[in-house]
Amino acid sequence: MSEVILLGDEAVARGAIDAGISCAYAYPGTPSTEIYQTIEDYAKEQGLAVRGMWSSNEKVALEEGVGVSYAGRRALVSMKHVGLNVAADPFMNAAVSGAHGGLVLAVADDPSMHSSQNEQDSRYFADFAMVPCLEPADQQQCYDFTREAFDLSEKFQVPVLLRLVTRLAHSRSKVTLGERRAPNDARYVDDPTRFILLPGNARRAYANLVEKQKALQEYSEAHPVNALTLREGKRAGILVSGLAWNYLQEALGESINDYNLLRIGCYPLPVKKIRQLLDASSEVWIIEEGYPFIERYVSALGLMRERPIRGKLTGDLPRMGELSQDAIKRSFGLPVSVGLEIPGMADVLVGRPPVLCDKCPHSDAYIAINEVIAEFAPNTRVMGDIGCYTLGAMAPYKGIHACLCMGASIGMAIGASHAGMTPSLCVIGDGTFTHSGMPPLLDAARDNSNIKVFILDNSIVAMTGGQPTMATDEEVVDLVAGLGVPREHIRIVVPSPHKKAHTVATLREELSYTGLSVIIARRACVNYAKEIKDIKEARQLKREIKVVAA
Amino acid sequence: MNYDLVVCGVGGQGVLTIAAVIDRAIHEAGLYLKQSEVHGMAQRGGAVSAFVRISDQPVASDLIAEGTASMVLSVEPMEALRYTNLLRPDGCIVSDITPMENVAVYPKHDALYQVLFSAPRVVAINGTRLALKAGSIKVQNVVVLGAAASFLPLPPELLEAQLALLFAPKGERIVKANLNAFRIGDAASRFSAALSAAGVAPQVIARVVSQIAFEPQPVPVSSVAAWSQRLLCEDAPTLAQSLFDADKAIAPDAVPA
Repeated sequence: MSEVILLGDEAVARGAIDAGISCAYAYPGTPSTEIYQTIEDYAKEQGLAVRGMWSSNEKVALEEGVGVSYAGRRALVSMKHVGLNVAADPFMNAAVSGAHGGLVLAVADDPSMHSSQNEQDSRYFADFAMVPCLEPADQQQCYDFTREAFDLSEKFQVPVLLRLVTRLAHSRSKVTLGERRAPNDARYVDDPTRFILLPGNARRAYANLVEKQKALQEYSEAHPVNALTLREGKRAGILVSGLAWNYLQEALGESINDYNLLRIGCYPLPVKKIRQLLDASSEVWIIEEGYPFIERYVSALGLMRERPIRGKLTGDLPRMGELSQDAIKRSFGLPVSVGLEIPGMADVLVGRPPVLCDKCPHSDAYIAINEVIAEFAPNTRVMGDIGCYTLGAMAPYKGIHACLCMGASIGMAIGASHAGMTPSLCVIGDGTFTHSGMPPLLDAARDNSNIKVFILDNSIVAMTGGQPTMATDEEVVDLVAGLGVPREHIRIVVPSPHKKAHTVATLREELSYTGLSVIIARRACVNYAKEIKDIKEARQLKREIKVVAA
Repeated sequence: MNYDLVVCGVGGQGVLTIAAVIDRAIHEAGLYLKQSEVHGMAQRGGAVSAFVRISDQPVASDLIAEGTASMVLSVEPMEALRYTNLLRPDGCIVSDITPMENVAVYPKHDALYQVLFSAPRVVAINGTRLALKAGSIKVQNVVVLGAAASFLPLPPELLEAQLALLFAPKGERIVKANLNAFRIGDAASRFSAALSAAGVAPQVIARVVSQIAFEPQPVPVSSVAAWSQRLLCEDAPTLAQSLFDADKAIAPDAVPA
């Protein structure tokens, strides 16, 4: 037993290691990135036999995790909430096939969209897939629930979703660690047809999943975190889940004892306990971080007339954004303290949004692109993608005019060109290109779409803190050529003030050509020079080892 | 005991490092903590903050409630004002005065300082100058931490010990620069407090303190007395303004006539 200060993400990582994982996979994304980062660093530091990698994308990461599970060993897969959209296919189907070795998917939601394009709530995914979901409220629970999730996964042979939110993932407190459990030996199931989801088998597997629901329900009903406290006499009740518990305690203080209380941290929802809470209460507040997931069920979309239900759907709590102790105080009509007000402050305080770094290669890329499209078609739109270069949307560049989801830029450019937009341009980073930009580029190549794809190759996944990219330099060129883009229209430019004339001339040539061009703007990120060097050396070493082994 | 503070600045200024040092010291002191912070996109030159909550009881919320923080500790003067809604009306602002002008329209410095220095309790220091004196521009954040140290419910020795531990892998020179920075910041803060106790006006203190090139040890009592006496004269505001506008370092014992 030792005590350490850990971020929620770090606590999940340590929980997984102490649960005896053999493997871990992830794709970086705020606020989930530190989970795999910690596993990688800690396993290396301690010399643990935990294999894993930053996968090409979340779908691949989960499929790798499923493979580990099928082989009887434990795997943790981590990603941000929108990553689960990418991994939704293996997620939904792994629920049907079931797990073998413990398979836990840690997903970090981002209410208030601190670093995301939406605030989707991953509890819906767990519900959709009919798998259990554990929702920790503090760093200790991050550690404990991660350990438990592996046992739960093996006990019921289902994947388990661990739902985090930003303020948990990126908040630190003391965690008491337990003993490390030994990893499983590889072992295979006797009947492999369970994992072959042909319709005949899939129906059987799905019936099996449906069958498990009763037991999962009982597990949740008996789970100590789903604690029900009923008090004398009819009074108002509160149903509170996950992190919202922290805010509720501070908002209500001692007066929390005036309410019937049901805390929830384990799903499927413990319906018997909810029934008891409803029966004992005159009205019920439902307080949850994220979407009004529980409230929609309990209130039947507001159709339930039996008891007043108060929450986000009724406007008693803010429908969007993060909760806070103050938001809850306001809902309960409790006074909120007023902070320091300094006269004249509003006049000297301006917003400070994130910006591209000084000397960032992306700025030079945008300067050149803007200059050339001003000549060709000043009103055209540039489809953007997700990464540091999304910040090119801001002044002074205003270089992109759309940003949807990972890898979307190329597909959007194809569609826009079909709709008649010329020239149709798009901008994507090296990391995002290998994440999900290759299939749309294959479309463009087969279609010979008249689009101009800019791959901004800075040799690293920079926005999330410098994770390795799957392909850089000539590897990108080879991938692009392999997808069918003619070599003469794969152009390399160096986005720097010094090479601007060459860049602009190259862009002019390619914009004058009707057909598919890929322009690779190749210059390493200014922030992660050391990491890039290390990654390239490590990759070279791996290649050499493979040659020797062969 | 509950003590909440907001550590803030701009991405890349070492805001989260300050928070990490405080966290470790809290843990060593046997107190409870919760500390939440912002990662990801905001770190690209955007506004960055960490909420540090210290208590002798377990802390529930990861966020600080409005009007309840005891301190805003900022590595940048405009950022110091961004979180005042969380600060108690009698709370304290400890801030570097070096603007980070990576926004399209940064406020006029005079107007910004006028507002910042009119906060009821403010310790303003010239972090970049003091960091250079300490041995490296990179320790600017630690100068500000040093300036905050005497207000925190933590023994300064614990903070120093955690600084030394954190930077030990980077070598002795870096450790020394950080400890120097911490002590210089602390000296500036204690000098500021002494002038305040003597009755010198806050705006005068802020302007004078942020021009003094402190040493990594307390300002001698005799110098403090001389400064207090000088800054209680009627022309002190004019003097403070002219020292401030000159933007030239003053030795701690060089009390102007």
